Amino acid sequence: MCLSELKENRSAVVTNVEGDSRFISRITSIGLTPGCRVMVMKNDKNRPMLVYSRDTMIALNKNECQGVMVEEVTA
Amino acid sequence: MSTGVTVALLGQPNSGKSTLFNALTGLRQHVGNWPGKTVEKKEGSFVHKGKEYRVADLPGSYSLSANSDEEVITRDYIASGEADVVCILADSSQLQRSLFMLADYAGIDVPCFLLLNMSDVAAEQGKKIDAKAIGEKLGIPVIPFSATDKKSYDVFYDALEAVIKDKGLLNVDKLTQQYESIIGYREIYDLIPENVIPGYSAMWIAVKALENDKVVMAKLRAALDDNAYSQIEEAKKNAQGAVATGGCKFAWIDDVLEKAVDAGDKKISLSFLDKIYTSRIWGKPAVILTVLLGLIASFIPAIPLMIVGSLILAVKAPVMGVLTSIGCPEILTLIIGDVVIQSFSYIFKMLGFVFGVTLVFGLLEEVGVMARISYVFDNTMGKLGLQGKSVMPFLVSFGCTMGGAAGARVIDNWGQKVLTIALAWAVPCGAAWATIPMLSTIFFGPGAVLVIVAVLLTMLLHMWITAKIFGAKLVKKEDRYGMIMELPPYHKPKWGALFRYVFGRTKETFIRVTKVILLVCGVFWLLSYSPSGDNGGILYTIGVAIEPVTKIFGMPWQLFLSYVASAVGKEGAIGVISALYNGNSYSSGFMDAMNGAARAENLNELLLANVTKPEALAFIFAMTFNMPCVVALAATYQETHSAKWTSIIVTYYTAVSLILAFLAYHIGLLIW
Repeated sequence: MCLSELKENRSAVVTNVEGDSRFISRITSIGLTPGCRVMVMKNDKNRPMLVYSRDTMIALNKNECQGVMVEEVTA
Repeated sequence: MSTGVTVALLGQPNSGKSTLFNALTGLRQHVGNWPGKTVEKKEGSFVHKGKEYRVADLPGSYSLSANSDEEVITRDYIASGEADVVCILADSSQLQRSLFMLADYAGIDVPCFLLLNMSDVAAEQGKKIDAKAIGEKLGIPVIPFSATDKKSYDVFYDALEAVIKDKGLLNVDKLTQQYESIIGYREIYDLIPENVIPGYSAMWIAVKALENDKVVMAKLRAALDDNAYSQIEEAKKNAQGAVATGGCKFAWIDDVLEKAVDAGDKKISLSFLDKIYTSRIWGKPAVILTVLLGLIASFIPAIPLMIVGSLILAVKAPVMGVLTSIGCPEILTLIIGDVVIQSFSYIFKMLGFVFGVTLVFGLLEEVGVMARISYVFDNTMGKLGLQGKSVMPFLVSFGCTMGGAAGARVIDNWGQKVLTIALAWAVPCGAAWATIPMLSTIFFGPGAVLVIVAVLLTMLLHMWITAKIFGAKLVKKEDRYGMIMELPPYHKPKWGALFRYVFGRTKETFIRVTKVILLVCGVFWLLSYSPSGDNGGILYTIGVAIEPVTKIFGMPWQLFLSYVASAVGKEGAIGVISALYNGNSYSSGFMDAMNGAARAENLNELLLANVTKPEALAFIFAMTFNMPCVVALAATYQETHSAKWTSIIVTYYTAVSLILAFLAYHIGLLIW
């Protein structure tokens, strides 16, 4: 599933990131790489998402989330 | 050239790079542009133990890829050997992620050391970081640092001296091992000739080739024969590129941090303030309230300079009186009074604004609130091709355009900064808001409300169209991606560094804008000057002569000259109208209006007797959307560092204001 489908307060592991090289470079430099754990702090409709990953609170535009594939994990 | 050592500061945005730069260099800094590029270049110097050090604050970027000018400039500067030492900053409170820059740097052969900034914030979060253990793994000095702690700087200077002496390079063995696991890495690595791009190791080049880095690939293309190059292309195809190398970099970071960091067991949650800022309903009101409170707060530090500005204006008449009494030639007296003293009065009032706005905006940036503002307005401003932060200069411009232009400083992308300023000009300033309701009420009574609404709607449309026209040139398509940014933890400001920064910028503004304001005020004065004291002068003569033309735009010569005066300062528009319809000369009316002459008591009757409703409407639009004032012009020049873009903006606004006047006039003619 893609990151934006993840509900608030759920955790997941990034399985893949897809997009042009600019997007890959940007999303990698903010720390979202395959294998890393993310926790959704906020996911409101029509608003940027807030996720926590690698010690960092990250704000992501919903469109940008389309390229981040995740697999939900429990607890 | 001085023989001192050059230190380059490298770090991601929000790593505290600017704070360190300001704390180190204080007033000894200079901001310009990189040659031929639209990226700001910040340089400065400091003296430690009698030795001079030069400091280059490299453009903030998240990595060293080739996706933006900032990144290419940064890495080329480092690899060029101009810097003797690179100080890499990471944020201790977000250590894992912020070490990415270090991982991307690995393979550049310039001595470096690592600064774990914001160690106080990390400590507050309950994190324990063993800098020494990290340093042993990396082979370079690693120092915990807090910009607000004086002792930190001693450690910084010691580390700097040590690196200069030892010329220590980053230990990249473990990272190389990681890269070896990528299919294709070894093949590419073996094909890269020695020293093909000076300053970069073969490992670094091979990794960038895997990441499909345009600049590196072009250099390889030029350096290699067709066979070798196509082998690289082939090897790249089978690899996962940037995703794989990024994974390696973070795997290496995890390895470096292993056992060196105790994250504590603090639960991750949004702070109360962040719950408000990120709320769907309360986010925007909270940001607007924050900016308004900030704006009010910025008046307090501005007051002393504003008072100086008023005092300068107050001595104008006495000084001119003395000059006249001692037999000074009239023209000289006028130039000293109406140009020089008048200009310095403007300049000091402007400096008050620049000082206050820079201080408050700098503070908001420093404590982390600016990132929240960006977050909240990202969607809205993104439609204009801007960052969320751009909302701040817009809001400030409702008060004063020069404050808005000065506030645009917080936008780190030059093109977006120029675009923000260009759009901020469309926001009617306080002086316009004082004039619009007054004129509208005289002519339209209760209909004034409709005029105000029309002005606001025109403003929005104006900004939208201007964003389309200017944005195409200023903000490249590839810079228009959606938000991917971190929300840094809130932290205490470093007051000393902040004030030094604010004083430095105010001083620089003073030096730069003084000549612009003197020049423009001088030209306007010269054009308005009438030797006889009666009606005459170049502007008057032209204004009267081209009245048939200005009438197309709905402005008889009196209104047209007042429109011209409104480009110098909107507060002057009404004064000039009063003087002209009272039969006074333009020359003296213009000067008196700029001195803050009150409107004539019989202004209502005068206007109603001489000006028709469509003409009044035309004038309101022409005056409101004209160039905001001379000082806003100077501030725009100061912030954009570009005479070209400043003049484009001026020309554009003059043209658009006349077009709007034309439209308003002809729509008015249809109604009345």
